[in-house]
Amino acid sequence: SKLISNHTFKTYSEELNRGETRQTERRLCVCVCVCVRKQQMSISMALFSPPISSPHQNSNLIPKISLSLLSTKRLSLVSLTRASSDNGTSTPASATVSATTVEAPKPVAVEEVPVKSPSENGAVGGEETDLTTTTTEIKFQDAKWVNGTWDLKQFEKEGKTDWDSVIVAEAKRRKWLEDNPETTSNDEPVLFDTSIIPWWAWMKRYHLPEAELLNGRAAMVGFFMAYFVDSLTGVGLVDQMGNFFCKTLLFVAVAGVLFIRKNEDLDKLKGLIEETTLYDKQWQAAWKEPESSSSSTVSSKK
Amino acid sequence: MATFTLKSFTGLRQSSPDQTRFVSHVPSSLSLPQRRTSLRVTASRASPNLANRKLRVAVIGGGPAGGAAAETLAQGGIETILIERKMDNCKPCGGAIPLCMVGEFNLPLDIIDRRVTKMKMISPSNIAVDIGRTLKEHEYIGMVRREVLDQYLRERAEKSGATVINGLFLKMDLPENWDTPYVLHYTEYDGKTGATGQKKTMEVDAVIGADGANSRVAKSIGAGDYDYAIAFQERIRIPDDKMTYYEDLAEMYVGDDVSPDFYGWVFPKCDHVAVGTGTVTHKGDIKKFQLATRNRAKDKILGGKIIRVEAHPIPEHPRPRRLSKRVALVGDAAGYVTKCSGEGIYFAAKSGRMCAEAIVEGSQNGKKMIDESDLRKYLEKWDKTYLPTYRVLDVLQKVFYRSNPAREAFVEMCGDEYVQKMTFDSYLYKRVAPGSPLEDLKLAVNTIGSVFRANALRREIEKLNV
Repeated sequence: SKLISNHTFKTYSEELNRGETRQTERRLCVCVCVCVRKQQMSISMALFSPPISSPHQNSNLIPKISLSLLSTKRLSLVSLTRASSDNGTSTPASATVSATTVEAPKPVAVEEVPVKSPSENGAVGGEETDLTTTTTEIKFQDAKWVNGTWDLKQFEKEGKTDWDSVIVAEAKRRKWLEDNPETTSNDEPVLFDTSIIPWWAWMKRYHLPEAELLNGRAAMVGFFMAYFVDSLTGVGLVDQMGNFFCKTLLFVAVAGVLFIRKNEDLDKLKGLIEETTLYDKQWQAAWKEPESSSSSTVSSKK
Repeated sequence: MATFTLKSFTGLRQSSPDQTRFVSHVPSSLSLPQRRTSLRVTASRASPNLANRKLRVAVIGGGPAGGAAAETLAQGGIETILIERKMDNCKPCGGAIPLCMVGEFNLPLDIIDRRVTKMKMISPSNIAVDIGRTLKEHEYIGMVRREVLDQYLRERAEKSGATVINGLFLKMDLPENWDTPYVLHYTEYDGKTGATGQKKTMEVDAVIGADGANSRVAKSIGAGDYDYAIAFQERIRIPDDKMTYYEDLAEMYVGDDVSPDFYGWVFPKCDHVAVGTGTVTHKGDIKKFQLATRNRAKDKILGGKIIRVEAHPIPEHPRPRRLSKRVALVGDAAGYVTKCSGEGIYFAAKSGRMCAEAIVEGSQNGKKMIDESDLRKYLEKWDKTYLPTYRVLDVLQKVFYRSNPAREAFVEMCGDEYVQKMTFDSYLYKRVAPGSPLEDLKLAVNTIGSVFRANALRREIEKLNV
C-alpha cells in the first residue's frame, strides 16, 4: 500500500475544521449494495439538487442524504455523503442523489434529509450538521427472533430443539447484518450467545464431516506412501514404522493433510509465518546496524 | 583518562541570524567513534565535565511526551527548552488514560472530565457485551481533553524550570563531532496567532523529539518510516437524555463495515461524544467507515450535531531508528502506540519521562556531556519494560481483528469475567499480570470454542451465499 504523505493529512484535517481551502476538493463517498433476485423490479432514478444559497464567500455545504429501502427479500442501501468546500470563486456544489424506488409488496420508506450548514467566515468554522434523520429502516425481523435472541421453543422438532436450524437461522441473521448493518439500540439489545447451542451440535455439523474428509485424505496418502516405500525398498509396513525417516514422512503427511486443506492454504501459511515475526522485527530494528547512511524503511505489511 | 579543560567555551546561546556565532572546539585528540556499533563500551563517565554551564537539552513538541520529558529534565537540573507549535492544540484523540497514569504523573483529578467504568463491545451482528463488572470502586478509565492535559504538563515543566517557547521547529543541523552542538532552526511565534513569526536558531547539546506522528526531528535524523493507521473522529453533541447513557460508558464497535482492521468507537468527552473509526489498510474508505460507525450508533446519537471533524495518523509500530547520537525520539514520534487498542497517551508520557531520566543520569544532573550510550539505556529500559505488552496486543489484533468471525469470537470472549479482569488489570496498571493456570486453561478452551463456532457460522453464511 502506498503511504500518503504526512503533509496531506495535516492539511486534510485542518481543512475540514477551518473550511478554507487552497484548492477545491470534492469528496464523494457512495456506498451501493443492491441484490437482484428473480422478482421483477422497477427502478426509477431520481436526481435532484438541493438549492444552495451561499451568502458568504466561504460556505461549507455538507448535505447528508441517507436512504434506505427494503423489499421483500432484497435490500438496496444507498448512502451518499459529500463534503465539498469551495474557494472564493464559489463554484456551486450540488449534491446528486440517486434513489431507487422499488415496487414491492412490502411498504418502502424513503427519507431524504438534505442538510445545509452555514459556516462562519474565516478561520475556525465549526460545522454544525444535524444528525436528525427520520429514516425508517426495516431492521432484521424474524418470527423466531424474539427479544434479541432466538426463541428456542419455536425450533422444536419432535419434542427436541433442532439445533441445526438454530445454527442456520443465526447464520442467516449474520449474513443479513453483514449486508445491511443496523444500528444498535438500547431498547432492543441483541442478547444471543452462540454457546447455548451444545457442543455436540457443532461437532456433528462441522467438525465431523471435515474430520471424515481429512482422515480419508490421510488414509489414502498413507496407503500409497506405504506401498511406494515398500515397492522401492522392500520394507514392510511394520518395519517401516521402526525407521526414523519413515516416521518423519508420516509426520509430514499428517501435518500436511491437517494444515493444507485448500490450495490457497499454502500461500496463507507462508504469509502467516512472516506475519508472526514482523512486529518483532520492527521493534528490533532499532538495535540493528544501519545498512546504509539512508534510513532503512520497513516493509509494510498489508 | 586525563580531564580536559575546555578553553574559553562560552557555551551555547540562542541567537538570531544577524548575530555572529562563536563556538570553540575541544581539542580533537579526544574523539569518540562516530559509527554506531552494538558493542560500544564508551560511557559518559569518560566525557568531560561541562565547564560553567549545565547540559542544554531541547524538547521538540509539547504534548504528553514533551511535557513529561521537560519536567523530568528540569527537575534533574538540566537546562531545558520546550518548543511547542500550538499552545491550545485541540488534538484529535480518544483521550483515554489508564489509572496508573494519574498516580505516576500526579495528575490532579480535575483534569479528568469523565471516569469511564463501563464499556460495551458490539460485534458485527450487534451482539453487545458489557464490560466492567470486575472493576473495583476506585478503578476507572479517565477521559481527558488533550488541550487541558497537555497544558497542565507544560505548565508543570515550566514551574520546574523549563523554558517553554511557542515556536515551530523547522530543521536541525547535525553536529560533526561528539561535543559540537546541534543547531535548531525554528520559527518563534511569540504568542501571537496568525503572525509569521521570527526565524531563530538555537544551539543545544541534545534533542528529544516529541513532536508526534509527523515528526520533523525523526526526518532530520533519518529515523525511517512506519506504517500508520488513520484515525477519523467526529465530535458530536447529543441531547442530554442521550448523554446520560454515555455518562460513564464507552462503546467499541467491531465489524467489516466499521473498519477492516481496527474498531469504531463512541467515547464520552466533557459535554459531547466522540464518534470515530480508524484503519490501516483501507485509508481511502475512511469516510465510508465513519458513516457505518455512525449508523451503528444511530439510535443513541440521534439528534446530535457534529461540532468538529478531525483526523490524525496513528503509528502502528516503532520507527526503525529511535535514536541517533544525541537525539532520541519519544511518544508518537517514536511510534509507541499499542496495537489493538491504539493507546498512546500513557506510553508517550512514560517514554518522555524515561528518556529524560536517562539523560539526567547519564549527564549526572547536567554536569557532563552525554552521548548515544546514555540514550541507548533509555531504549533498553523501555523495550524491557513494555515489549511484552506490545507483543501481546499485537497478537490480539492479529488474531481477533482479522475477520468478522474472529471479531464475533472476540466479543463473545470479552463477556467472560476472567478475560475482563485480566484485560483491565493489564490496561489500568500496565502490567501483564499472571493469572491462575486453571483459569487460563479454561480461557484457552473457551477461546477455541468461540473461534470455532464463529468460523462455523461463517461457513454456514458462505453456504447461503451460493
